[in-house]
Amino acid sequence: MERSPYANLKRVILVSMILVPLTTFILILGIGYYYFTTSLESSTIATIKRIVEDHRHMIDSFLTNRKANLEFVLDSCPFKELADSEALHHVFLNLQKESSTFVDLGLFNREGIHINYQGPYKLVGKDYAEAPWFKEVLKKGHYISDIFLGRRRMPHFIIALKREEAGKTWILRSTIDTYMFNDLVKKIRIGKTGEAYLLNADGIFQTERRSGGNLMDKDPEVMERPLSHAGIKTFLEKDSRGNEYLYATTWLTGKNWLLVVRQEKADAFRFLRAAAYIIVLVTFLGGGAIVGIAFLLTGRIVRRMERLDTEREALGSQLIRASRLAELGEMATGFAHEINNPLQVMKSEHALIDSIVSELKEKGDLPPSESLSEIEDSMAQIDLQISRCGAITQSILKFGRQSEPVVEDIALQEYIPEITAMVEKKAAVQGIALTLEVSEETPPVHGDRGQLQQVLLNLYNNAMDAITSRHGAKGGELVVGARAKEDGKVEIFVRDNGSGISPEDKKKIFSPFFTTKPVGKGTGLGLSVCYGIISKMGGIMEVDSEKGVGTTFNVILPAAKQALIH
Amino acid sequence: MEKMKMMLVDDEERFLSTTQKLLSRKGYDVLTASSGTEALDLLRTHNVHVVILDVKMPGMDGIETLNAIKRNYPLVEVIMLTGHGTIDSAVEGLKSGATDYLTKPTDVQDIIEKAEEAFGKRQVLEDKIRVAQSRTIGKSAREILRETGGQK
Repeated sequence: MERSPYANLKRVILVSMILVPLTTFILILGIGYYYFTTSLESSTIATIKRIVEDHRHMIDSFLTNRKANLEFVLDSCPFKELADSEALHHVFLNLQKESSTFVDLGLFNREGIHINYQGPYKLVGKDYAEAPWFKEVLKKGHYISDIFLGRRRMPHFIIALKREEAGKTWILRSTIDTYMFNDLVKKIRIGKTGEAYLLNADGIFQTERRSGGNLMDKDPEVMERPLSHAGIKTFLEKDSRGNEYLYATTWLTGKNWLLVVRQEKADAFRFLRAAAYIIVLVTFLGGGAIVGIAFLLTGRIVRRMERLDTEREALGSQLIRASRLAELGEMATGFAHEINNPLQVMKSEHALIDSIVSELKEKGDLPPSESLSEIEDSMAQIDLQISRCGAITQSILKFGRQSEPVVEDIALQEYIPEITAMVEKKAAVQGIALTLEVSEETPPVHGDRGQLQQVLLNLYNNAMDAITSRHGAKGGELVVGARAKEDGKVEIFVRDNGSGISPEDKKKIFSPFFTTKPVGKGTGLGLSVCYGIISKMGGIMEVDSEKGVGTTFNVILPAAKQALIH
Repeated sequence: MEKMKMMLVDDEERFLSTTQKLLSRKGYDVLTASSGTEALDLLRTHNVHVVILDVKMPGMDGIETLNAIKRNYPLVEVIMLTGHGTIDSAVEGLKSGATDYLTKPTDVQDIIEKAEEAFGKRQVLEDKIRVAQSRTIGKSAREILRETGGQK
């Protein structure tokens, strides 16, 4: 069905109709997605940074406060009092009021001997001179230890402070409740998988990690640690199980511990994923819509172009036919004219012979015989044929007649009934029902009344011939009408229920000398003359017919310009 | 009664001779001319009542010939002989003073009928002229002088 130029055209239109909007569409989606994800990412990272910042601040202040509690004890209680078991107990109770995380309280002398102790263990008199924390506190004056097992074989960490007074040195130490501290660090909730924990400088867990990682184990993830205390570092990294995490890390200010807050990437960026799904969905739906519409529109455009092309071809062939008809008409006119003179001579000769023969007969020189009657019959036939030739040439000359038509506006509402009245009687005799359907809104046409009359009468006569040849003298229908068409055209139609025209004949119907009537009955010039007249009026003639059903002739003429003023 | 004298003008010689023969057989006096100029020459020497004149001729055509005839011999009746295609020239001819027209190919009988008709018209006209002239004879020379003087 599809011809290749259209297939090509269709492809080009289709491709451009899909590509141009689709590219734009995808570009917009892509840019939107990029900016959206970037902003979402940075806001997620900003959130996790803020959390790590807040959390660090909280842990830092916890440690600072505990240290300050001990400082306060040292500041307010002299050594004597601290060395007294009763008094220390009192101090310890006060401390516990301050914070329940203090597990015990102990006093050491310069040599590392545990002088006094309040708490759940029996540690008085034990020597801590070699304990790493003790060395550190002697060196620095204050010390917060990493988590260690110590003598009690339990993970814990301590805060120790050194005080020198009047040449005497003593050390106050307290253990912090690991579990409470642990909870403090752990109690952070970000999404489903967010967690926080502390690592010391060697990457040993200082608090538990919710997703696995016990106290004092080595963190299996080797990760970059920020070198200094300068701010927060965020990064993405895969753990040993292949889960990717978003990390935010920062060093505590008061202690050489690294606070790590991490969240599974999928969890942290779950909105991103949702956005991605939506965008994919929109892309498919939108893309589908674009492709669908492109197909639909392309189909429509190509069909329309095909129709226009067919119409143009039809118009072209009509023009060619019209010009051929005109040429033929001219030729026929010249021919008819030249034929007339010899015909005239023949006619005269015939008349002469006729007159001589009758004279001879009168004189009795030609007695009646069979031969004579044959001659007379032959002569009559010659006369008949000459008359026939004369009729043909006259028709041809009428067809090619160059006379100037008298052009005027013709109101079809009055004109068509007038012309139709001329054939009323004939129609009645042949039993044809004549119907007029001239719309009152029909605009006038511009033309010669006589010529248009010739056209209409010709069409009426043809129609009536067709009707009688099918129905005889009963049951014929002839409808004559006129109406306005779009684009300032007027259509006059003559519709009959006669014998119809076969498709082969339809092609030749406007050609000169084409007739379906018996020899001698029609010249085959009627419709071609009509065609010529209508063409000169700037109109066209069309025929629509079905064999055995009927025929409709349409005369389409331009409406007179005057009509536009009304 | 005066006998009708016809002249056929056509460029077709055979048409002329045959038609002449035919008309002669019917008892008419017929002259023929194969061109406009020849026709005018003949008119100078012959008293012709009706001219059958072909519209389409080489050289001087029918309309020109008609005009010349009407100018020089206004009483001569002219019948135009025309092909259907030159019907407009027939109309033009009628306007220029032709009496009637015939369409080719035409019947001798038609020619005779139209010619008789035209001849009748001519005779009516001639009668009127005669009557008018006979009245003038009765007038005095002075009256005639006055009339002609008044015309000047």
